[in-house]
Amino acid sequence: MGGEFGRRRNIRVELKNVRVAYSGSRKPAIENVTLSLDSGFVVITGPNGAGKTTLLETMLGLLKPYKGEAYLFGVNTKSRKVFEVRKLCSYVPQDFMKPPFESYTALDVIKLGFASLKWDKNAEERVKKVASDLGIRNLLNTPFGKLSGGQQQKVILCRALARNPEALFLDEPFSSLDKESRRVLCSLLKEYAVGRLVVAVCHDVEAVKSFADRIIRMEGGRVI
Amino acid sequence: MTALLSGLFSGALCGAIGYHVERINATSLSFAVAHAALAGASIGMVLGVDITVSAMFFSISSAAVLGLLFSRIHWKDLLSMVFFSFFSALALLSVYLSTTNVLATSSVSAVLWGSILAVDTFKLIMLIVSFTAFIAYLFTFRLQIDSILFDRNLAEAEGVDVYFHTAILLLFAGTAIALTLRITGGFLVFALLYNPVASAIQLSSNAKIQLALSASLGAFSALAGVAVSYVLDLPVGAAIAIVSSTVLILTLLKCVLLAH
Repeated sequence: MGGEFGRRRNIRVELKNVRVAYSGSRKPAIENVTLSLDSGFVVITGPNGAGKTTLLETMLGLLKPYKGEAYLFGVNTKSRKVFEVRKLCSYVPQDFMKPPFESYTALDVIKLGFASLKWDKNAEERVKKVASDLGIRNLLNTPFGKLSGGQQQKVILCRALARNPEALFLDEPFSSLDKESRRVLCSLLKEYAVGRLVVAVCHDVEAVKSFADRIIRMEGGRVI
Repeated sequence: MTALLSGLFSGALCGAIGYHVERINATSLSFAVAHAALAGASIGMVLGVDITVSAMFFSISSAAVLGLLFSRIHWKDLLSMVFFSFFSALALLSVYLSTTNVLATSSVSAVLWGSILAVDTFKLIMLIVSFTAFIAYLFTFRLQIDSILFDRNLAEAEGVDVYFHTAILLLFAGTAIALTLRITGGFLVFALLYNPVASAIQLSSNAKIQLALSASLGAFSALAGVAVSYVLDLPVGAAIAIVSSTVLILTLLKCVLLAH
């Protein structure tokens, strides 16, 4: 199904008057958000608690709006069909579970990203190429648990990019990277975003604003 | 021989399923499913139908309902507790309403604390079929299951149908609980579901070894429990629970000693 949905539908993400609240909380985490994203490098920024991660997870359908509608590649995120279109997406969360996977190599962890796709020679070649671009080619056979936080984040990034997604969602991808690695990654994402969608949550917008095609500023759960 | 083989397969099956249920944070849901099996067995006893069949009907139905609700609600633990109290009440009511004749049968002891005599060849075959089906499921969907165990949110975002696999795991848990209930009794089935995985986590940090250990310790606890029960003439469910708890305490002691 590759880029079938992506080619057919230019709008990859669409939110209409979306309101999302966490269980047990009366106050919505995001409120009255309306936006549509097609392609380019989009940065979501704002202070802590502004609702940046909530917005990102709502775009992916990991959080469901209790008011308004959210669409991913034209599919309502409340529909079960969303699992199909998510195959066109990749996600890099800020934190991820890893125990008891310390003994898995970096390559094993990357392979897990192909659970809903096909793991073949092409995928293997793509992994090698992206791993070289990110400077972790020599770490592919290292146990994941023995890597530093920054290296682990690069492995998850490699997993995301090697899936060759139509839409890439990243939550604070630069948080544990040094200045040079951040610059390299920004250029890579900017290049990747041509004809595709890359959405990154970023607390420190100054570091990435020269690369961004669009900046979404959030405060108190609203887009400002 | 039937009892020993039943112990071996039910222990290994519960150990392997318990590992997956714990790793996907569905422990409280399987707790509710286990009590549904207990209620089903109690109702089956009162109605005079095979308690394994009625336990299986209740546990699989509740597993299907909980599996469907898993994706739609945030308060899963609270829902599990609602199910738990409702099914416990049903089980106790059934025992309370039973006639003296029913209470005098061996079915009551099988429901409450298990019985080696309650396991026949047909149930052993059902256990072996369930065990084989679960192994086949693990092999077929290994990558998807590992992906969910690594990070549930990440797997969901990448298009893995986490709700389908959660529902399937709960259905297997429901089946295993209903079949094991004959051996351990309704209140002690958790000893085979959760004690082995708790011990395995203490002994290794490797996912594959943890799974193998959980299944092996489950099988060992069940076999040793059946043997202890036979030799000392004790209720088999209690014997299995004591053996698996002892294994857990020993693994915890080992960790404490190694830490020092």
